[in-house]
Amino acid sequence: MLTFIVRRVLFLPVVFLGVTLIIVLLMQLLSPAERAATFITSPAQLQNINVIIDKYGLDKPWYSQYWHWLDAALHGNLGYSTVARTTVLNAIATRFPRTMTLALAALFPIVGVGIWLGTAAALNRDKVVDQFTRVLAIVGWSLPTFVLGIWLLVIFYGGLNWFQPGILTTGDSILLSNLTANGAFHNYTGFLILDSLFNGRFGIFLDFVWHLILPVITLSAVTSAQIMRVMRSSLLDALGQDYVRTARSKGLSERVVNTKHARRNALISVLTVSGFTIILLFNGVVITETIFSYPGMGQWFAAAATQLDYASVLGGAVFTAMVVVFANLVVDVLYALVDPRIRYD
Amino acid sequence: MKRILILLAIALMASAVFAQTAKDTLVEDKFGSIDTLDPAQSYDTSSSLVIQNVYETLYAYKGTSAGEFVPALATGYKVSSDGSTFTFTLRKGVTFHNGDPFTCADVAYSIKRAVITNNPQSGDWILAGPLSGYTSDATTALGKDATDADYHKYFQTVDNSVTCPDPYTAVFHLAQPSPTFFARLLFGAASIIDKKWAIENGQWDGTEATWKKWIGFDLHNSYLQDHMNGTGPYQMVQWVPGQKFVAKAYDGYWGDKPAIKNVLINRDSEVSTRILNLQKGNADYIDLGARSDVKQVEGAPGVKIWNLDGKLGWSAAAVDAIFMNEQIKADNNPNIGSGKLDGNGIPPDFFASKDVRLCFNYSFDRKAYGQQVLLGMGQQLTMALPSSFLGYDPNIPEYSLDLEKAAQHCKAAFDGKLWQNGFKVTLLYNTGNTSRQTALEILKSNLEYLNPKFNVTVRGVAWPDFIKQASESTMAAYALGWGADYADPDNFITTFYAKGGYYADQYHFSNPQINQLNEQARTETNPEARKLMYSQIGNLAHDLSPIILVPRAYPILVTSTSLKGVYYNPMIGNGEFLWSKVSK
Repeated sequence: MLTFIVRRVLFLPVVFLGVTLIIVLLMQLLSPAERAATFITSPAQLQNINVIIDKYGLDKPWYSQYWHWLDAALHGNLGYSTVARTTVLNAIATRFPRTMTLALAALFPIVGVGIWLGTAAALNRDKVVDQFTRVLAIVGWSLPTFVLGIWLLVIFYGGLNWFQPGILTTGDSILLSNLTANGAFHNYTGFLILDSLFNGRFGIFLDFVWHLILPVITLSAVTSAQIMRVMRSSLLDALGQDYVRTARSKGLSERVVNTKHARRNALISVLTVSGFTIILLFNGVVITETIFSYPGMGQWFAAAATQLDYASVLGGAVFTAMVVVFANLVVDVLYALVDPRIRYD
Repeated sequence: MKRILILLAIALMASAVFAQTAKDTLVEDKFGSIDTLDPAQSYDTSSSLVIQNVYETLYAYKGTSAGEFVPALATGYKVSSDGSTFTFTLRKGVTFHNGDPFTCADVAYSIKRAVITNNPQSGDWILAGPLSGYTSDATTALGKDATDADYHKYFQTVDNSVTCPDPYTAVFHLAQPSPTFFARLLFGAASIIDKKWAIENGQWDGTEATWKKWIGFDLHNSYLQDHMNGTGPYQMVQWVPGQKFVAKAYDGYWGDKPAIKNVLINRDSEVSTRILNLQKGNADYIDLGARSDVKQVEGAPGVKIWNLDGKLGWSAAAVDAIFMNEQIKADNNPNIGSGKLDGNGIPPDFFASKDVRLCFNYSFDRKAYGQQVLLGMGQQLTMALPSSFLGYDPNIPEYSLDLEKAAQHCKAAFDGKLWQNGFKVTLLYNTGNTSRQTALEILKSNLEYLNPKFNVTVRGVAWPDFIKQASESTMAAYALGWGADYADPDNFITTFYAKGGYYADQYHFSNPQINQLNEQARTETNPEARKLMYSQIGNLAHDLSPIILVPRAYPILVTSTSLKGVYYNPMIGNGEFLWSKVSK
């Protein structure tokens, strides 16, 4: 197993070079003036376009530009993001914890609700529970994230005023800034949800958690529907297998047969889908973060891509590729844990 | 446990329901994102808004006026008779937010730092031009063959451009007389920073020994990028890039104590979220998107729209126009079709014909544009100069839709060949700018109505492509705008009409009479004489019709009803107010 993990980690530099090279080559399809657009925000700056091209070496050959970027990246400098208004590394450091918090918070309902409802549907095949769950899955799966997000915002903020977008209310936002400026609030982990607790600021913790509720519902609705469908079909499949019949004939209780024998095997398919769920979540946060003014990676990537923020696209793609490789690694390891037949050594 | 959770949820809901911004707190929800906090790097309106509230310049804009000024860090000034030396008396007893005293050394350092760095993304050229004689940084200005002696001479010029005979007198020595200089000193790059603090934090040490390292330096990578220490009424608390900026009132401020003690600027890219925040009392001021968004907030409880009827007389410091390129680059240029006047394209010098330009100008329906895009809330300019600026002449006749005259000029153009053969041309705007798109479509529909052989395509191109085409001069005609860098007519007249002006060169317009008048106006120190010259330029431009002026919306501001004292100054941020002047 360890060899497998090491092999996967050693694969990361290849992914790094491959991803960055492809992006750099794609960017060469644009002219130097087009690439300079990221540095230009107002017509008045147009008059300096040639100076900007010269200054940032945008008219140099692609390999020269790539080497320049690679050299800096290997020295820990991923460049400056004109969208995030800070260095790419700093943008990742501040935004990734927020997105990670959102994704992890969404993962609980996705997996929990998905498996729970999927199991309930399979065990009550063609009964009311099953029919209801199937309808729910279809609605959840076909409802675009942005539609659901906007509905939730209009109802629960515009109408009821129970929740609001962003990550903190005005009072707490100002309080947190003052505490940070005075050195009374330390960013131990970069995760506000944890740091607020470590600093004894329970008000900020609760406020942040409150702000997470609507984005989490939005983000998890679609994906949990998918998990639910996979869980239902694979559990139905497992329930029809010989080993389940054998377990029943041994006189085991229905609960043990269902949970220990059938559901555990059905979970393998769910795990496979969960690997994609991470990628889906990263797609989902782009929309969710934009709707709820949640300043995370998704909001940044969306803006960087449309504004041709070269440094952000490169840095962000490298980072995302790493996350995906890591997520797949975790899924592969979990495979072995769930299914004893799978061995990587 | 369950009961505790329910109580907790109710408490949280209650706090969310009743959350309103405090009486001494101003919350702004903005579309734009702050680029930098360094005055010498800033060239965007989001950054300039916070810089103008935290830092100060020697003089400040008076109320809603872009042309009247009041003392700020200076208490008075004198100009030499030849207009090349400006002497400022500085205010005593002023301190920076860290407690350091303000003196002339800070003025000299701040200005020289901006002129020396002069990064191409910044607006430092506005100061560099009059003080060094070059608008670009030393390396670009002196060229690749420059010797050490050339650099030394350049440095000496900059070093001597601001001198301090005593701690409270600052003297500016201009490379050449400039009546525009005073207005330039109100630009954000001329904000005064604390010399001692800046040097202590790794900035240029002010000497010739190290200055070369700072030439063209990208100050996004400097300490002042995310740290502020000004003399203004507000001091920075925290900036989280792309998310929020927090400031609080500075207790040691030399002027009146502001009623607003805390300021929170939130960045919200979605207009619907900004509107909801305002309606729910979680924002006091918001940026709208298009003018049509007014409908969503008009009449909403707790919302006030300032200047909706235009009666407050506010005027934007910007001009929108459709440019007609008189020397289009011809090689493989899809914008001009065949490149000939054969009905399938236009020749590269198509717009060099005055008749063609007049035909286009008379074909543009400003009224329709005003109704469709500006919802009737627009102002038609008579020349490419904001109406509040010196030299704007409201008596110059306006062009209006006149298809008869348009046809007459099109028939006369190219000895009748244009009318006989027709033409095919592509007009461009930057994708996403629906106002510019509509302007071009209105023009298209009227031109095609004139003669079925006239074929106009309106195409949106992404901003990068737009920039590329602008730099390569491949656009035939295109819609674009210009916002003021400094409150002087020179910033518009040179840009739009004169040789060497950025837009004029881009669309290849040059008229000897206008060029001569403009050069005179740039060095004329008598405001009345300048006014007359700009009026003459406006009249000449009207006759020559090099551009089609597009009406511009009246500025409006959308705030909560609780916000008092709101005003609009086009030179503050993207056109708004100083935080210290409003209350709740």
